[in-house]
Amino acid sequence: MSVPGAPTAKEKKYDRQLRLWGAGGQEALETAHILLINATAAGTETLKNLVLPGIGRFTIVDNAAVTDEDLGTNFFLDDNSIGLSRAQKTCELLCELNPEVQGHFINDTIENILKSAPEKLKDFTIVIATGDIPTATLLSLDSILYPLGIPIFAVRCVGFTMTCRLALSEHPIVETHPASTVDLRLFNPFPELAALVDEKASSMDDKEKMTTHEHGHLPYVLILLQALQEWRSTHDNNPPSNYSQKNEFKSLLRSKMWNADEENFEEAIAAVLPHFNVPSIPSDTKAIFQDEKCTNLTKESTSFWIVARAIKDFTEKNDGLLPLPGALPDMKAESKDYIRLQNTYKAKARADLAVVVGIVKDLLVGLGRGSGEIAESEVETFCKHAGYIKLIRGRSLNAEYEQSPRAQVISSDLSDPTSLIHYYLGLRAYEAFISDEGNTQRTAPGAEDPIVDTDAGKLNKHVTELLDKLSITHSPELLEGTEKAIGEIVRAGGGELHNIASLTGGIVAQEVIKVITKQYITMNNTVVFDGISSRSQVYQL
Amino acid sequence: MATTTVLTTESPDRWKYLNNILTRRGPYSDETFEPGDEPKAFLADLKILVIGAGGLGCEILKNLALSGFKDIHVIDMDTIDISNLNRQFLFREADVGKSKAEVAAAFVMKRVRGVKITPFNCAIQDKDDEYYKQFKIVVCGLDSVEARRWINATLVNLVGEETLIPLIDGGTEGFKGQARVILPTISCCYECTLDMLTPRAAVPLCTLASIPRQPAHCIEWASVIQWPKEKGDLKIDMDDPEHVTWLYTKALGRAKEFNIPGVTYAMTQGVIKNIIPAIASTNAIVAASCCNEALKIATTASPYLDNYMMYTGDESVYTFTFQHDKKDDCPVCGNLPQDLAVDPESTLEQLMEKLQERPETTLKKPSLRTSTKSLYLQAPKQLEEQTRPNLEKQLKELMEPGDELSISDPGMPFNLRFIISFSS
Repeated sequence: MSVPGAPTAKEKKYDRQLRLWGAGGQEALETAHILLINATAAGTETLKNLVLPGIGRFTIVDNAAVTDEDLGTNFFLDDNSIGLSRAQKTCELLCELNPEVQGHFINDTIENILKSAPEKLKDFTIVIATGDIPTATLLSLDSILYPLGIPIFAVRCVGFTMTCRLALSEHPIVETHPASTVDLRLFNPFPELAALVDEKASSMDDKEKMTTHEHGHLPYVLILLQALQEWRSTHDNNPPSNYSQKNEFKSLLRSKMWNADEENFEEAIAAVLPHFNVPSIPSDTKAIFQDEKCTNLTKESTSFWIVARAIKDFTEKNDGLLPLPGALPDMKAESKDYIRLQNTYKAKARADLAVVVGIVKDLLVGLGRGSGEIAESEVETFCKHAGYIKLIRGRSLNAEYEQSPRAQVISSDLSDPTSLIHYYLGLRAYEAFISDEGNTQRTAPGAEDPIVDTDAGKLNKHVTELLDKLSITHSPELLEGTEKAIGEIVRAGGGELHNIASLTGGIVAQEVIKVITKQYITMNNTVVFDGISSRSQVYQL
Repeated sequence: MATTTVLTTESPDRWKYLNNILTRRGPYSDETFEPGDEPKAFLADLKILVIGAGGLGCEILKNLALSGFKDIHVIDMDTIDISNLNRQFLFREADVGKSKAEVAAAFVMKRVRGVKITPFNCAIQDKDDEYYKQFKIVVCGLDSVEARRWINATLVNLVGEETLIPLIDGGTEGFKGQARVILPTISCCYECTLDMLTPRAAVPLCTLASIPRQPAHCIEWASVIQWPKEKGDLKIDMDDPEHVTWLYTKALGRAKEFNIPGVTYAMTQGVIKNIIPAIASTNAIVAASCCNEALKIATTASPYLDNYMMYTGDESVYTFTFQHDKKDDCPVCGNLPQDLAVDPESTLEQLMEKLQERPETTLKKPSLRTSTKSLYLQAPKQLEEQTRPNLEKQLKELMEPGDELSISDPGMPFNLRFIISFSS
């Protein structure tokens, strides 16, 4: 059967996700290569959630042999795996999930790779570090990867608790998937739109010139624009600006109805509050325009900054207005009138796009680069989302651990015993415990019953040391929540609970997908989840 | 049914980490929690039911098996489709067309030694109260509002001196999802929260018939108007590519006629099947949260969710955990009727159409009664014929303000009750 437009086998298989990130996002996933350090349950579950949607390749680095304990938490191992390479066995069972994905494994420690072949790390799109990795190793990885722009997800999953720290250097997002990109230009109609209002709606109050049917099918955008003209003529040419004026305007609209069931007028009245806004450039977009990378383009500037600059230049010549996205919501209207209105917006969007494309070309030539380096489709996507773009500037792990920790974030939450910052502190203490030079076996706190309380004491000490280092005032009362968090952490004895590992795999995979596809808005930079109260919190540390 | 032999030759180390939680008290553990062998044994003996073996169900079965549950039932009437494979990780291409419940159960039993999973390839409505009574917990991973309402009402009706079966329910859409714990008659039930669902924005028939403006209008025209006109009584099979292609071609022709851009095959499928985007990672989050609650409820090792968690992943990571209130006038777990203002001039038929627009009153074949008379009954046939003339009558002829209106439906094991008032 060959119907034009019918889906391919791949489109059928990936249908439910293509509806979220489209062919562009899928392409980005299929060319990505993920490194997982340690095939823990959380790490393996993360990969499961990336293999299923068709990530290009993954590599697992792990030198552990499969134990019975692994079988109690990790679904991608079975009875036949015991004693064999954990990297190999999880790789094999994960590969069964999707024949299109290539899985590799390295039966070694990440420390050995850092020592013998650190250049290998450059091949990866993203690195996910799980399991009991000591601080020194994390920071070495960060020193190599962060400058290269390779994001690291440092994941810790113990008992009912998890954290994920994302070290992401610069991450611009164009396709943020806002609920709507509609900009009706009601307060500043462009000439073609104003002309359409004159033609279609100027006799809106004249029963001689308009039939009841025509009146009941006038698109609400035209009704609003026509009524605004009338309003402005009695209000110093100003549109309704405050709540009471907007309500007055609604009454004006109501007075123009010819009978009580004109849905188009009801739609116009409902559109007043959401669409009567003074045009302005949203703060995120403004910050990007003012960013040094936007104002000072160089030969090395990425296409994001060049297009951002082109749009900035465009708005400066366009009364501070961004390019028109061109979307129009559905509204009661005759088909031909709606389509004509839609085409009026689309034509203006195309015209704005053409101007921006021209500026992009000039900028590229000015930088000594080829004028066709940036595809028009990329500029078009940018123009449609210009009011919704985001730039995430993360922080390296080294910055958090060594240079200038954001102590304020921690201290402001410390006095709240229900805050999840206590789990963050508890897990930092956990990391300090396994990183301790005396702990050569990297034994987890609470590993054996008799030492649970002693280890809890050690973790509490690590927390106070950390707080002292950050010059954060603390007291036993302030640390009540932390002490409880530590109680939970040592209770688990360093083990993963499958549910929390699986949940972690879901959260981390979502973030990985957002980073790779450059779509939706990525978390910045630490998420903590507590499975006892079923709550999460994001901290910028 | 033949009894299944369960292999129990496990190393004691296998459940070491789970056991840490069960043999040690945590700072947040309930006072009644007694760490030790008891919660372990309890978990192994407890019968738990999973409804749905799809995106959430596959995850739930895996999670329960790795949480120490040993006696699991699963019900799902669906068969495996190619578009399931991007997230339903217990299925392979060779499984397409087979029963989801059976394939999922077999896979998890093979992978996790010592767990017994009993699959049922049927509708939940095929099982009776005695069947549901045997479970201590029910975990739901469904994509249908109707099925959720049914199992919710069934479990509420089962509440008695000896029976109270917690219902743990999960749902996802794209990067978002929710997990919730329902203690029937104690905390808010599924029906209490139906108004959280967005009402269906139904496109008026006249728009479809004469003034289409959107690609979706053309697609709905093809399925709602053109299909019955040209194909008569033949029902549309959303999974039959020939049917979808027919609708797509018709919709495309309609769109061309009205100069409407944007009709695609994928959109045609999306509109007629009401497809909701679904990915493995969101299912993982929601299913894991549900099973985490199941483990906590079964063992009392830590406090459980009271009673709702929403997860939003499309903008950073955001959870909203809150206690949703129980509704006193909930038709399932409350005891008070709801208020309903009706236009006395409108007809009974118009009232029935209006009820269809609200999620909490969307029913398949509703029958309406007041305390004194039957207004409209769908069955038996004689009564339907007898009450049919009432459909044309104005409400003021049929009822008075203050009357109690009761609506029943064969798909729902409960009645909706309303106190009528007349709006001007």
